[in-house]
Amino acid sequence: MKYGDKIIKMEGVIVEVHDGCVAIDLKGRLGYLKVPMRMMITDYPLKVGQEVAWNMSFVEQLGPEVNDKYVSNLDIYNRRQAEARAKNEANN
Amino acid sequence: MSITAETCKEHAKDPAVLCCRAEAGITIGPENLEDPAIFDDLVDSGLLKLDGCLTIEEVLGAKLLKTCDSLSPLTADVVEGAKAPAAAEEVVEEVAPVAAPVNATTSVAGGMLKIHIGEGKDIDIQLPMGIGGGVAEVVEVPAAEGTAAVAAPVAAAPVAQEEKVIRSLTRKHFKVTEVKRGPETKFDGTVLYIREGIEEEAAASQKLVNSLKIDIITPENYHTYSETIMDVQPIATKEGDAEIGTGVTRVLDGVVMVVSGTDANGVQIGEFGSSEGYLDENIMWGRPGCPEKGEIFIKTEVIIKEGTNMERPGPLAAHTATDVITQEIREALKKLDESLVVDTEEFTQVRRPGKKKVVIVKEIMGQGAMHDNLILPVEPVGILGGKPNVDLGNVPVMTSPLEVLDGCIHALTCIGPASKEMSRHYWREPLVLETLHDEEVDLCGVLFVGSPQINAEKFYVSKRVGMMVEALDVDGAFVTTEGFGNNHIDFASHHEQIGMRGVPVVGMSFCAVQGALVVGNKYMTHMVDNNKSESGIENEVLGCNTLCHEDAIRALAMLKAAMAGEDVKKAEKKWNPNVKSTNIELIGNTRGAAVELVANEQSLPMSQKRKEKYD
Repeated sequence: MKYGDKIIKMEGVIVEVHDGCVAIDLKGRLGYLKVPMRMMITDYPLKVGQEVAWNMSFVEQLGPEVNDKYVSNLDIYNRRQAEARAKNEANN
Repeated sequence: MSITAETCKEHAKDPAVLCCRAEAGITIGPENLEDPAIFDDLVDSGLLKLDGCLTIEEVLGAKLLKTCDSLSPLTADVVEGAKAPAAAEEVVEEVAPVAAPVNATTSVAGGMLKIHIGEGKDIDIQLPMGIGGGVAEVVEVPAAEGTAAVAAPVAAAPVAQEEKVIRSLTRKHFKVTEVKRGPETKFDGTVLYIREGIEEEAAASQKLVNSLKIDIITPENYHTYSETIMDVQPIATKEGDAEIGTGVTRVLDGVVMVVSGTDANGVQIGEFGSSEGYLDENIMWGRPGCPEKGEIFIKTEVIIKEGTNMERPGPLAAHTATDVITQEIREALKKLDESLVVDTEEFTQVRRPGKKKVVIVKEIMGQGAMHDNLILPVEPVGILGGKPNVDLGNVPVMTSPLEVLDGCIHALTCIGPASKEMSRHYWREPLVLETLHDEEVDLCGVLFVGSPQINAEKFYVSKRVGMMVEALDVDGAFVTTEGFGNNHIDFASHHEQIGMRGVPVVGMSFCAVQGALVVGNKYMTHMVDNNKSESGIENEVLGCNTLCHEDAIRALAMLKAAMAGEDVKKAEKKWNPNVKSTNIELIGNTRGAAVELVANEQSLPMSQKRKEKYD
């Protein structure tokens, strides 16, 4: 990576709390992050609205190439999700 | 800051750098030198260049020729009367003339003399006595990222007492060569029939499960798309009334249960994607927790109610529904004729009084949802009777090594496909097997402790681990964890709690680049890295970076060294895979047989693109 060590402190707000994961809105409308529980270091029970902070850098592209494996997996996953949703709606 | 004569001794082979401005003509002493511990950061940030720098042992007592500012590295041109370097370097010189003409290389790494000869004949190599004569060097890892080390076997315990067999466990293997669907679940020779329509029953057994599908995947069909693999489980059952960890267990060879699934909207259960895709590209075959190449998968694809994939009951429902099918196979397996047994394995739990007593502490996930494990079900890797460690408050639970090998953990397994320990992992746990069979140590038990989410709870359970280890009066302990994340906080705390009681402790975790430890303490001095991936990352390949036989051997050798009071070298600042290879070589030399290393993701079919991305 070209800009590897440029670390920025980011802040966010917890917007979803599940048993297995937490979702965070980055302050300043800079994005949304969903992480598994074990990626969170917590001193208190997690609640929506709590503020969090972490260090991160900008996201760099690794190159112009497209990894067909991921495209293929994503296509299949999206297609299956669409099918599942349609079926689920039909059942309800 | 200047250093003391003692520090000079410790860092004799480290670079000599002035700690403050020094006038020409002075005799260099410890008070003029900077502590080498801080050099890594300075070198990284470009403030210090150590090219051509003499070592501390070379410059001590020498005369400074030129007035230099603080943090000036001492090179040959500013110092007069530098001493010749000591022993280690001389070895290289002695060997070099032999090596050079025949395309050979030598180096001294980690106190280890390496000689590589590409091609040559009539080569005589003579080494001074006392070098490499079985006294292995050990490498120490402090709080930071790292790998690890090894040592010569510990001398036999002073008093030889008789071994005591506590209990035994028999595994009877039955072979399955084909899996088909049929009107009832039964065996016909080596063909397993699974009842048609069992899917509906399995799905109906769980309120949260909408539907369930069974795929039978044979080796020809390995190149099949699959949702994320949640778990890989052996199909085994107890004979008669035997409890887990004793008596007779029947197990099927050649077939495994594989759990996968999504919620009704098609979102993966308890997972952040990643290991979905073609099975043959995503499984590190033969890892303790993974399928073996050639095995048939009975793969369930469980669809649970929408939105429950990240809630606690969701993943559990998927596992429970799958177990309905497994249980029916178990019932059929119980009835199988004894004549179909193809192999019998006998495990005995032996206590070795008088030998070094050790305990294995295994940290399992307990943050909730898929971060959970069922402890001690009635059937091996079953559901019924198992208690989720989250409900137990993640407190330490002591098990016998045989209970572990008999499937006392049903893992709901969470994120990090490469580092998660699936149910089958415990069934074939290499560290338990290796320690149990090692005649130089006395394994007293395997302590499971959950990793809760909140720090206060982490320290609560960790203190119980400390107390329990204290009460056990062990001579040494292993602490292992799966994957990385906040579980490294309690992992570090377990080291502290055990270490502060004067018990040597060896830690095992995936660390490398991505799993670098976030915290540390002074007791984290012996660490074995479970990484196998080429670049030291979570490479999305199922089971790739889990604890394997080679790691167990290193950890055991390291604990023996620690218990014998041998020094362990500090780890390098950045992850360096060579530390592991050096240690493996050292162990191989001491054991007289090379340690076989497992393959990593490079052995799998890989698209060109993935290659570019990762390696």
